[in-house]
Amino acid sequence: MKDERFTTPKGSLVLVEASDELPMVDFEVTLRTGSTFDPKGKEGLARLTARMVRMGTKKMRALAVEESIDALGASLGIETAPSYTRLSGAVIKRNFARFMALLSHLLREPAFRAVDLAQAKRETLSDLIENRDNDRGLAAREFRRTVFGDHAYARSVVGTQASIKRITRNNLLSHFATHYRAPNMIFGFAGDITLAEAKAVVDLEFGKIPRGVVPKEKTPEPKPLRGRRVVIVDKPARSQTQVFIGGLGTNPRDSDHVALAVANTVFGGTFTSRLMREVRSVRGWSYGASSRLGSDRKREAFYMWTFPAATDAVACVALELDLLETLLKKGITKKELRFAQNYLANSNAFEIDTPIKRLDQRVDIELYNLPRDYFSKHIEQVRAVSLTAANRALKKRLSAKNLAIVLLATASEVKDGLAALPGVARVDIVPFDRD
Amino acid sequence: MRQPPEQKCFCSQAAAFPHILFAVTFVEKIPFGGKMNLSRHRLANGLTLLMLVDRSAPVVSYQTWFRVGSRHEKKGKTGLAHLFEHLMFNETQSLAAGEFDRLLETAGGETNAATWVDWTYYYENLPRNELPLVTRLEADRMSHLVLREKQLKSEKEVVANERRYRVDDDVEGAVNEKLYSIAFKKHPYHWPTIGWMKDIEGFTTADCRAFYKTYYAPNNACVVLVGDIDEKKAVALIEKSYGKLKSSKIPTEPKVKEPTQTAERKLVMKQATPTEKLQLGYRGPRFSDYDYAVLTVANEILVGGRSSRLYRTLVSEREIAAEVRASMSPFRDEGLYEIWASAREGYRAKDSLVAIERELSRIAKDGVSQGELEKAKNRLELGFLQGMETASGKAEQIGFYETVLGDPSRIFSRLEDYRRVSDADIRRVAKLVFNKKHRTTITVVPSGEASAEPDEGDDE
Repeated sequence: MKDERFTTPKGSLVLVEASDELPMVDFEVTLRTGSTFDPKGKEGLARLTARMVRMGTKKMRALAVEESIDALGASLGIETAPSYTRLSGAVIKRNFARFMALLSHLLREPAFRAVDLAQAKRETLSDLIENRDNDRGLAAREFRRTVFGDHAYARSVVGTQASIKRITRNNLLSHFATHYRAPNMIFGFAGDITLAEAKAVVDLEFGKIPRGVVPKEKTPEPKPLRGRRVVIVDKPARSQTQVFIGGLGTNPRDSDHVALAVANTVFGGTFTSRLMREVRSVRGWSYGASSRLGSDRKREAFYMWTFPAATDAVACVALELDLLETLLKKGITKKELRFAQNYLANSNAFEIDTPIKRLDQRVDIELYNLPRDYFSKHIEQVRAVSLTAANRALKKRLSAKNLAIVLLATASEVKDGLAALPGVARVDIVPFDRD
Repeated sequence: MRQPPEQKCFCSQAAAFPHILFAVTFVEKIPFGGKMNLSRHRLANGLTLLMLVDRSAPVVSYQTWFRVGSRHEKKGKTGLAHLFEHLMFNETQSLAAGEFDRLLETAGGETNAATWVDWTYYYENLPRNELPLVTRLEADRMSHLVLREKQLKSEKEVVANERRYRVDDDVEGAVNEKLYSIAFKKHPYHWPTIGWMKDIEGFTTADCRAFYKTYYAPNNACVVLVGDIDEKKAVALIEKSYGKLKSSKIPTEPKVKEPTQTAERKLVMKQATPTEKLQLGYRGPRFSDYDYAVLTVANEILVGGRSSRLYRTLVSEREIAAEVRASMSPFRDEGLYEIWASAREGYRAKDSLVAIERELSRIAKDGVSQGELEKAKNRLELGFLQGMETASGKAEQIGFYETVLGDPSRIFSRLEDYRRVSDADIRRVAKLVFNKKHRTTITVVPSGEASAEPDEGDDE
């Protein structure tokens, strides 16, 4: 696989993943900074700034921007995560040059009009209210709060009602001036575009984005929580619950990250994993049952996710705790290890079967400071994991004693049962519509 | 979905057919875009095979489309097609429960399935060298599935939980189910594909066996194969694995014509939600009709992107809704053009309704500009290209068009249809479809705010 890349005179990295299979181009502009830079009390600033980038320039109002995007047959999405901010989308090839001119205009000359900011804030506040319909999202948000405590990873990327109201135009201007700088940007192109075409378009359209010294991220490692903390997000009339159980996992640079990922594949990573088999296949308690390891620059969360009926919720939580305890005590078997290695190695073909997926891997390498061959050596690394290493990673990284157990449920139906689970000293109940 | 293993021996289905004994007929080559050709073969037992060589990645997508969906069910037995889809991942005469998935996962494959009103399909995405494995496994479960009470009991629980997840505890899911149950009185589109909870709980193994025997047969299926394959070898594999399977007598489907709706149907629902919602359903064209393409273009102009008419009016300018979406159901028979709006705090669903009605009248009366048409067509072209990025994306389009229209070449002619849609077409179809008399309207109010559930009756 060709690693086509170059760095602009002002320090932006440009990655190209060429393929002429279809007459379209995917693009990404990724900033190496995200919501961890949001000041305390102004959560949502990075996201709101990115949103405002598409709300008009000095020469174009928001509606004209949207008209142009749609007229060109393009899509433009904005994503903010703790460690990055991304503007990405796709465009039909014949309109690529015109769309890049528009994108450049947005990135270089956003107007940040007060009237547009007021509208974007109202829109965000409305989204926060709409999110109250999303049971899974509400449970996941509370889970992160419980696992990460006062760490930046606990904070909402979207912000809260209170924090959004506090954000000012000056906050946005300052965030933009600090972070939307050439050395902080990774440009990615995938699809019907050559390296030469990418060079030409970046020189022409993005060469004027200024240099600048971007502050280094100082987010500390999150601290593991102590004990089993149960939190119920109380919502009326729920026939079903949303359950997240977990704690800290690893970050991709940890030497045992791959070993832990292999072990997690056995536990909850596939349809025939232990968790799926016991919760869904044998008992029929939940339509889905899985476990995941998050990835970021610092240790992210490990969690199990199920959604049993309210009547089965306590028994399901107890079962999940048992399964985790057994996993950590006895480890995985040699046969299971071989299965997980085969699955991960053989399914790798689907991690790289489109140009945009290959580009995303290369951007991740840059974002998380991974070795250049991190993904190309992935199969080799998976195959190299020994049974001892997999089980050591489980014991070292995961804990069955120190866990966040978070449910969205009608509290009265599950509270007593959860309080009686071993190791649970207290059950906290929070309203589903809290800020 | 799985039970503990009971049978230990995995006997290769392919091994049972050491020689090629069964005729495969090459039917036709169908141009697929500018560069590729889709080939159609038919086995003597009626199985259709559609193959597309696509070497853009070293993978293969294998899909089996059955011409059976919830429209083939009966009252009191709703949800059987979907429940059966779950059961298909269980035990066969040669594979213990769980082995199907385990073998595919070991090979690095991903497998799942989907059921809707007109069809059920199963897919596997695998590295290219695993074609023999998946062919053997799919042929095996098409005719040798084992159905036991224990598996059925567990799977019914899983489906009940899926229903709670997608419908009972989901505002939009619950409202959408209600919409179809009110809009259709006679046609099977009346009931939800997942089935009514009471029906799910009542299924027996006898129900499932009868369904399997009737509908899961080669002459009711189409295998779609897309990826980095050798066509000749693939045909031989299919022939070897499926050639001996027996065809079935597929019952003639009774033609059910939904009576013309002559008055608006309305309902007010209470839900645990913070703001009011609005769901509209206008009777719309069949997927096969040219008018479906016209309505698709009109839909882009109404809700495609932030510059679309409804988004701009309701969300950006007047800020009376948090979101507005719309789509036309892609069904064999006439379906619904659905519009969904979620009111902003402090506004009523009624405000959205008034604004939507105004825009629908405007499009029917004044039509659209050339700029809007071009914008809509560009957006549809991008969506089309994105759907063709992967082998599985192409296979899904091929299987869908074959099953619903009987013609996969319509994938590309549909794109041509979009290109020729005119302002006059849009006015004509908008007048036809956006008629209040053909509409079902559901208003959702937050729990505790509505005084009554049903609002108005209907026209019959």
